[in-house]
Amino acid sequence: MQAQQQGLSNVAQVEALADQLSACADAIHARVMKDIARHGDAPMSDKEQALARALLEDEMLLRQRANGLYADAASIVVKALNRPQQHVMELTAAAAEKIRKIALLGDVTGLVAGLLLLGGAAATGQVAPILLALKKISDQLKAVELHRAKPAG
Amino acid sequence: MFLLVGCASTTISLQEVREFADASAKLGGYGELSNRFRGTYAREQPYLSPAADLLARETDVKRRAVYDDFVSVQRTVVLYMQTLSLLAGDARYDLSAQIDELGNGLKANAESGLEQRHVAAYTGLTRLLTRVIASGYQGRSVETMVRDGDADLQTLIDGMLTLTRLYAKTNENEKKTVLGMFDIEIPFSKKAQDRMLVTLAKVHYMSKSSEYRLLDRRYDLAQQGLIKVSQGHKKLRENLANLSGLEIRSALAKFASDLRMIHNAMNDKPI
Repeated sequence: MQAQQQGLSNVAQVEALADQLSACADAIHARVMKDIARHGDAPMSDKEQALARALLEDEMLLRQRANGLYADAASIVVKALNRPQQHVMELTAAAAEKIRKIALLGDVTGLVAGLLLLGGAAATGQVAPILLALKKISDQLKAVELHRAKPAG
Repeated sequence: MFLLVGCASTTISLQEVREFADASAKLGGYGELSNRFRGTYAREQPYLSPAADLLARETDVKRRAVYDDFVSVQRTVVLYMQTLSLLAGDARYDLSAQIDELGNGLKANAESGLEQRHVAAYTGLTRLLTRVIASGYQGRSVETMVRDGDADLQTLIDGMLTLTRLYAKTNENEKKTVLGMFDIEIPFSKKAQDRMLVTLAKVHYMSKSSEYRLLDRRYDLAQQGLIKVSQGHKKLRENLANLSGLEIRSALAKFASDLRMIHNAMNDKPI
């Protein structure tokens, strides 16, 4: 948790720095656009144009620096997520196991349905298959009881 | 015996939990935006100066290195939600149906000369199954998962929110890099022979700005969706003791419908 918070505060710092670089780039761009607007339809001298292009280049470099920092921040974020992610995966696996057990309860009733069919046979005197099915069911019941004894989680 | 049927159908409905989990598992946009973040360099490259290109390539390596981790965080949350949905699923209703069947079958067989001890075994079994259902095994499992999972899930969603914000900011710089050159070069190109080039540049500028404008909305929607998932799960966590309560059920239904709306809004305007 400590390391996680440490990581997150780094993210905030790195992101804030990148935000500032982006804001500087915006300011440079605004400044160039203002110069251009001031000229109106009158053509700019070559020197003025060269200056504008040089500023645009600075703006572009600042944006690249900023995006590099955003990528760094993103790396720190995912590293800090390692542990919670691990835990959520474990929980999910445990839940999947419970779903399997619930399916097992479904199997029990499935067995009962089979048993009821055999019950029909019992009416014609074939008791042995019923007893066999009852034995199976009692095994399943033990499994169910076991799950009840150790309720979810 | 026929009371059993009534008993089985009074179990708590987890339908809203399931709907919320299903809607959350869709997590619209995050994956696509992660993908876009990874592909930043390829899109901005034609607009870069040689010096900017050097920096951009370094950053490209960083972005590619962590992309798998972005995807795996998302996959974890999606898997969690899908599992929660299954856990809150309607397997229970299948059970109830089978209990009903059991009651009917028993009646039929009681008339067809089944021995008393068999009837007793059936009855005992039915009682037990009813108890298992009524004891809310599934409900308790949902409880355990949500209670134990909430803190870490919130951390993951929070991380995804931060990442989505970083994606959006990166995209903003990409947009300004792509459009910035035209802001300056178009006014500089006033000679007659520049006319065709300027026209092409203006058309390109318009199409690019509308592409980025649509994207801004997607970053926004993705963040709204993540916030809904986070709030919904928190609400679920706070109301575990009373999942059948009207208030929590309608709150969860609202979160699910909000998430579906966000999802639809995203699908309306694909990139």
